[in-house]
Amino acid sequence: MTLLRHLAAAIVAGAVIWAASVQLSPFRDFQMAQIAVYVVAIAGLSFLIGLSGQISLGHGAFMAVGAYTTALLMMHLNWPWWAVFLASPAVAAVGGAVVGLAAARLHGPYLAGATLMLAVALPSLAVQFPGVFGGDQGLSVNVFPPAGLGANFPPTRWLAWICALAALVTLVILANLARSRVGRNWRAIRDDPVAAALAGLPVGRLRVLAFIVSAACAGLAGAMLAVTTSLVSPGSFTLSLSIALLAGAVLGGLGTLTGALWGALVIVLVPTYVTDVATSHGFSGGVAANIPIAAYGVVLIVVMLIFPQGIQGGLRRLAKQFLPTPPTHLGSPGRRPPASEAEDPDSPYRRPPVSEHQEEGTS
Amino acid sequence: MTEFLQFTLGGVSFGMVYAAIALSLVLIWRGTRILNYSQGAMAVLTTYIALTVINHTGSYWEGFVVALAAGLVLGAVIERTVIRPVENKPPLNAVVVTIGLLVLIEGIAGIIYGGQYRSFPTAFSVTGLHARSVPLGISRNDVFVASAVLVVALALAALFRFTSVGLRLRASAFNPYAARLLGVRVGRVLTLGWALAGLIGALAGLLVSPDTFLYPSSMDSIFVLGFTAAVIGGLDSPVGAIVGGLILGVVLNYVGGYLGSNLVSIFGLVALMAVLLIRPSGLFSVTHERRV
Amino acid sequence: MPSSAEAGAERGGGTSSAGAGAGRGRAQSGGGREARGRDKQSAGAGQTERGGGTSRAAALEVEHLESGYAGVMALRDVSISAKPGTITAVLGANGAGKTTLLATISGFVRPRQGRVTLDGTDLTRRAPEEIVRAGIAHVPEGQAVITELTVEENLRVGGLWRHGQAGRAAALEDAYKRFPVLAAARNRSASTLSGGERQILVIARALMASPKVLLLDEPSLGLAPRIVAQVMDLIQRLRDESGLTVVLVEQNARSALAIADLGVVLNVGRVVVIEEAAVLGADEALRKHYLGF
Repeated sequence: MTLLRHLAAAIVAGAVIWAASVQLSPFRDFQMAQIAVYVVAIAGLSFLIGLSGQISLGHGAFMAVGAYTTALLMMHLNWPWWAVFLASPAVAAVGGAVVGLAAARLHGPYLAGATLMLAVALPSLAVQFPGVFGGDQGLSVNVFPPAGLGANFPPTRWLAWICALAALVTLVILANLARSRVGRNWRAIRDDPVAAALAGLPVGRLRVLAFIVSAACAGLAGAMLAVTTSLVSPGSFTLSLSIALLAGAVLGGLGTLTGALWGALVIVLVPTYVTDVATSHGFSGGVAANIPIAAYGVVLIVVMLIFPQGIQGGLRRLAKQFLPTPPTHLGSPGRRPPASEAEDPDSPYRRPPVSEHQEEGTS
Repeated sequence: MTEFLQFTLGGVSFGMVYAAIALSLVLIWRGTRILNYSQGAMAVLTTYIALTVINHTGSYWEGFVVALAAGLVLGAVIERTVIRPVENKPPLNAVVVTIGLLVLIEGIAGIIYGGQYRSFPTAFSVTGLHARSVPLGISRNDVFVASAVLVVALALAALFRFTSVGLRLRASAFNPYAARLLGVRVGRVLTLGWALAGLIGALAGLLVSPDTFLYPSSMDSIFVLGFTAAVIGGLDSPVGAIVGGLILGVVLNYVGGYLGSNLVSIFGLVALMAVLLIRPSGLFSVTHERRV
Repeated sequence: MPSSAEAGAERGGGTSSAGAGAGRGRAQSGGGREARGRDKQSAGAGQTERGGGTSRAAALEVEHLESGYAGVMALRDVSISAKPGTITAVLGANGAGKTTLLATISGFVRPRQGRVTLDGTDLTRRAPEEIVRAGIAHVPEGQAVITELTVEENLRVGGLWRHGQAGRAAALEDAYKRFPVLAAARNRSASTLSGGERQILVIARALMASPKVLLLDEPSLGLAPRIVAQVMDLIQRLRDESGLTVVLVEQNARSALAIADLGVVLNVGRVVVIEEAAVLGADEALRKHYLGF
């Protein structure tokens, strides 16, 4: 039922994208492909944090795994794009399983610190084994449109198509997962792991599963990135990438798929825009390049302090203020909106239960 | 044999820097149960400030003192403005906020000072010391680094144990509710804790930047290793921070010396994961843990 | 049955909330009665902050307090007057709002409505640290001993804001004289103390700041009957010897009424009885109905 609805939505979206891609310039097509890359990566991370309550500051590392897998498979084995789009997430999923297993017992700052370490340490692997990974220069990747489309077909449009396809498939899968029993179980372990364990849920396994799914998304995004930028090098997978993903997920709204879209739009479009504005106002290139970085920081802080539910959450709240509560499913009565953020079961920010000795906040 | 000795002593110097970062993390963790991911970035900023002063006045020590003062102020300001609202919220919020701070501060540093690698002066000479013409692998500066951190750690310990300020800090860290009931202005105390952590972090930045060169993200790897040291020693334990730092510094120096410098951060990752899996509360964990 | 109101009003100074006179078993409010009660107090008590008086006695007034958390009102229209130098026992079942009452007075919970005054000074909605400095000491349920510190360190924290160096030493010696059991344990970790010893410690700790009002939340909880008797005896002595004003929240109504001057019964957040403790203790029907004995 929901699967059909999601597929229908995906097909409609696909048609819209296809139509748009034909109209847009090659550069815009390229940006569309980039947006697709980040939608997939951010959706995976957003699900990890928003649905299962775990944090990862090292998702850039999983993207790197996917990207290098793609480069190596294409370079040495000449695999076609769809094959690497399947293989890369699989390899990254293995990485996710390893990290997830190691991290299943960690939470909060320990988990964040461990994944942070991952993000910082992994790129040096590529430099350590330059023969295999191409060292600092990296490996190159080339994907061409099939001959059937004609010699003058713009390559970036082809990239936009395959990336959009990959993104839509991923979103459909994630949407179904969210609504499935697995999704509900994730929410349960997010909200109250002790209660969930007492209720018989395999908390550790669910956590690892969340990591696997999330890493697979990142791996796919890495493959898409490799294909769109034609180059895979350690410099593309710095800590800043992991943090940008986090910023996109938080800004868009954790745990929501539309949030991933907002986040991706912001990450792809805003930095270049801001840098352009800065340079046109006379700031040097170096300075202008740092402004988006500082901006990510501001975004993370401001959103967490003022709009913890991000853009999507903010829109949802606005909608609830102004619109009558719509029925959530055909035929069922509308769900009453929660009285406050703390009671919203979908919010990852449930406050700890209020005890009689709750402090009133320091003055 | 002398090589081993050299690696051991050489590791002490870096180890003390990790210990300093670990100490500042422990200070904040004990007080607010928050892990300050921006500790390294804060240190970068204060070190840049020191560099500006040094270039302006030509005096290393003036820059040194200004950096420490800047660390105090920076820590206090950050706690009061950005951390205070998330102190009683779920831990995820504080993680995101401090990561945001990390990025913001590094971005600001990049904007003001640019991204190029800058050299930073040392306090003392870096020529190797010898004991009866056997090279020891350390220099006068290394001795200074180790002593400076040790002195600060001891001063901190004295502050905690013997002064009323220290008593307030401890009471607020162990049981903020009881402390408030007794009239302790817990808010101010927490600000002080962050200020002290900022000072120690600034010290770490000053001591390590000659080796790593100074650029906006130069403290990233130092920070994660300091975090690892804190975890090894136990996030609740200042003594553990020092010991953890020393152990890590020495071991990583062996890795770097015998196996190659590229493997250092990977080894650090392995060490961190090993500790987190085998004994997550660290070597010196205090038995009565509050909620983790 | 004689109306307890008239009987109360005849006593010197009048029982506060002479509104209790409205009869047993009914909550009361009404500005007029409050004012009457207060006038009687300032006339009768007479020892608040006048010309540097050394007495610590102080009157604590709670007026029309409405307080709670997260949308649940734990207190509704609660008014209580604790006369200076008296013990007011606040009784009632679990969930009646007793702990919320103390938490609101000491500033940890912000009331929706109502006032809290100490000797006429309005303390409503002030931060806990200010309320402590005004002279109210709150000893919470569960003892709140700082187990990671030693006994002496716990005591010292209590006196930090009040005294300078010299004052602290004097206050410490005072505490040890009064509570020899603490002196014996002074350098031991507070975690090694027994339940009864911990209760003594937190009371002594609260006294380090020479408070005017002591709020005690279920001091008898989890203690053996013999120890409970000792603690109650201590509280009584504090009132008699130091003229301390005490608000004693207890589930152990019998022990509390034995030492209290005034008894207040809360039920589901409302005051249902305000009566002299002796009268309340003697009233079998009331006791059975609200207090279960």
